[in-house]
Amino acid sequence: MLMKRMVAIVEDEPAIRDNYAAAFTREGYLVRTYANRSQAMTAFASRLPDLAVIDISLEDEPEGGFELCRQLRALSPELPIIFLTARDSELDAVSGLRLGADDFLTKDLSLAHLIARVNALFRRVEALRRPAEASQMVRRGPLTLDAERMQVEWEGQVVLLSLTEFWIVYALARHSGHVKNRQQLMDAANVVLDDNTITSHVKRIRRKFQSIDPKFDAVQTVYGMGYRWVD
Amino acid sequence: MSIRLKLLLLGLLTLVLPWAGCRYAREMESALREGEQNSLLSVAQTIASSLQGRGDLLYRQPARVQSPEEPETEDDKAAAAPKPSPYDLRPILLSAQPFLDGYVEEWPQNKTAWRYFARDPAMSTVATGQHKFGILTGVFDRMLYVMLDVHDEHLVFDTPGASPLDPSTFGDRIWIGFEGQDEREHQVFIAATGPGSVTARRIETGEYGQLTAVNEPRILGALQPTARGYRLELRIPLSMLGERFGVLIDDRDRRGVDPVSYGTLRSDDLHTVGRLIVASPELTTYLKQFRQPGLRVAVAAPEGRLLAQVDALSEAKVLAPEPGILARFYRRFVDRPGTRRVIDSTADIYDREHKQIIGSLQVSQTEDRWLMLRDRALTHMLNLTLGFSLAAVIATFIFAAWLAVRLSRLRAASESALTREGLVTTFPETDASDELGDVARGFSTLLHRLNEYTGYLRTLAGKLAHEIRTPLTIVRSSLENMESEGVSSSAGIYLERARQGSDRLNAILIAMGAATRVEEAISNAERTRFNLVPVVQSAADAYRIAFPQRAFATEVPEEPVEIEGAPDLIVQMLDKLVDNAVDFSPEGATIILRVRLEPHAAVVEADNPGPPLSPDTRDRLFESLWQSRTDSDSRPHFGLGLYIVRLIAEFHRGEATASSLPGDSGARFTIRLAR
Repeated sequence: MLMKRMVAIVEDEPAIRDNYAAAFTREGYLVRTYANRSQAMTAFASRLPDLAVIDISLEDEPEGGFELCRQLRALSPELPIIFLTARDSELDAVSGLRLGADDFLTKDLSLAHLIARVNALFRRVEALRRPAEASQMVRRGPLTLDAERMQVEWEGQVVLLSLTEFWIVYALARHSGHVKNRQQLMDAANVVLDDNTITSHVKRIRRKFQSIDPKFDAVQTVYGMGYRWVD
Repeated sequence: MSIRLKLLLLGLLTLVLPWAGCRYAREMESALREGEQNSLLSVAQTIASSLQGRGDLLYRQPARVQSPEEPETEDDKAAAAPKPSPYDLRPILLSAQPFLDGYVEEWPQNKTAWRYFARDPAMSTVATGQHKFGILTGVFDRMLYVMLDVHDEHLVFDTPGASPLDPSTFGDRIWIGFEGQDEREHQVFIAATGPGSVTARRIETGEYGQLTAVNEPRILGALQPTARGYRLELRIPLSMLGERFGVLIDDRDRRGVDPVSYGTLRSDDLHTVGRLIVASPELTTYLKQFRQPGLRVAVAAPEGRLLAQVDALSEAKVLAPEPGILARFYRRFVDRPGTRRVIDSTADIYDREHKQIIGSLQVSQTEDRWLMLRDRALTHMLNLTLGFSLAAVIATFIFAAWLAVRLSRLRAASESALTREGLVTTFPETDASDELGDVARGFSTLLHRLNEYTGYLRTLAGKLAHEIRTPLTIVRSSLENMESEGVSSSAGIYLERARQGSDRLNAILIAMGAATRVEEAISNAERTRFNLVPVVQSAADAYRIAFPQRAFATEVPEEPVEIEGAPDLIVQMLDKLVDNAVDFSPEGATIILRVRLEPHAAVVEADNPGPPLSPDTRDRLFESLWQSRTDSDSRPHFGLGLYIVRLIAEFHRGEATASSLPGDSGARFTIRLAR
């Protein structure tokens, strides 16, 4: 019997915290909940969780989640971190990802989606521990997609994508040439997002590829429709 | 009426000053004139009293002029002269020396000075008649001038060359009889042998009783025939003459016949019956001591006949009138027409007992002197007041213009202060310390409050969305947990309903936060150069799929329309325009998406058939939280769609406008984007 994975939930709203805790417990996770940063850090100092779900604004600290993320990342570089916030503004997203969060989600995401994500992230942690298997690879020219490890390589270099970004790229690249509309992308990413957030995700994806290959333009916008992957 | 005009009119009120100045000048003038009149009167009275009782000075003989109703006292009787007689002659004072030519032209044209005598005294007043003559006497420079106008049907001249004493040669003769300085009666006659100069002759009785006609060279004259007789002009030195004087006409129809004699001499002995009442020559000498430039001193007989005068009116020192057009204009403005340029004062001259008026003294003075003074004062004053008025008007005008400029600046600022979202431009005039400054400050404060308010309203949706999200998350996560725990089938129905409700609530939240998200997207957007045409075309393709109940037509130019901006935002803008067009058009309608080029802009237009836009809503359409929808559908609307259109248009340095299609057949939204 495997030891139960421990999920830490740092959330200042007790009702949400308890609901999330209940959902994760039901899924078989060991859940620890914390209302603020100091509580969480005290606990993390003695034992690190296997995954942390952190709300950005914590009690009297409007951006306490970012600070917590930075401290947690200092303790463990591999620990999966998911940001949860009521604020869906892009700035928050950018800041959270720069701090090394693995995903950034708004609270209107359903619990099922959230759990799917957590599961996926644990799967990735598992997969990263094993050697890569060729059968799980999707290759499209310079692009190599590892569905198991949720990792993307472009011209042999790893592109660091968040989970949502990975799923978007995966959805586009698996059927290259097909236009994927926003709804399809959201379904693929297990997320409910508005147009602007999708656009900014795509923009960020392009930027990340372009940082490796400045001539990258495989993700094309079909205005009014969606996006497609062009080999 | 603009403030400028009002203040200008107010400034024009100062023109009352020159008017009041003119009034003042007039009053000053009349006061001056009155004072001058008074002083002139006292001058006249002084001179008159110096002449009191000096009848001898007034007339060559002591006072003879008495009114009949005032009987003389016993004492006066000895010195008194005879009563006035109808044959008395009163010579007028001539202003110029008549030329002895028998013509009347150079004499004063004064009909009342003529005296008429007729053979029949009853006819003497009638100007016509056979035996009748008129006589006009005048004095000039110690000479008596006599003008006789004799009515005579047959002018008969003496036989030339014949003895003047031969009765058979006698023609018409005129006798002059007078009392000499020796108080004896003298007679001379004028017997002309033709028109022209005549000489008077007197008859002298020689040592042996013989008679001779001697020329009297001191008496000169001229005779001219007239239509009804003849005219005789004579000059006699006053030194020859005593108190009495008369003229007798011997009218003959043929030479040598007995004449018809009539006149103011007794026809039998040719003695005088009338007197010559003439001013004494010394009077003029006496008056000369009062002579001064600009002054005329005159003495007149009680009946108004001028006896003597010293006239130096024209010698008045003429002050040069104030030069310039303005001064002339003032004079014209102030001087009343017909204003006399001479003032005069009259004082009576009494006899020694101060009972009888023996004459009157008139002193006249030109007004010129104080007219000039007045003109100067007036000119200066008018110049001053006019200058002041002008300055006041100009100052008022400048002030008004300045005020108007400030007001219009204020107005312009108040109009443009809130047009751009969240931007209250710095308000002008708030530093001013006057009432306009108060208004500006008040306005500025008001605008800032309004701006805060609109800013609050603008962010309200976003804030609300954010605030509601947490409780909604609680509800949703609780529902999901409930679902996972497993509930009875009947409770499942309610659970499903609650979930649907919370989904709708979530949709509402997303709609409410749309503008905030677009604002964030805009602030993070990157500008690239891209062709608008394919973007619009591909968007239209998407709309054909998304809205199968509407037809979409595109009208795009052949050439590429490149603009600088974010294509994603343009598509969002089109989404909102098309959303709007679909909502307001009937099913099956064709929505036209058009791209066209203007010199400095790329224009995107969306036309939809449907209700036209009313003019008053047209300008507000693009405001935040404004909507004209009256029908309610299931989707939440917060009046943000067209506001987002505007935000995106402004990001592209453009503008969004709305208008009705021709014939009010629908609405057109025009987005101009800078190229």
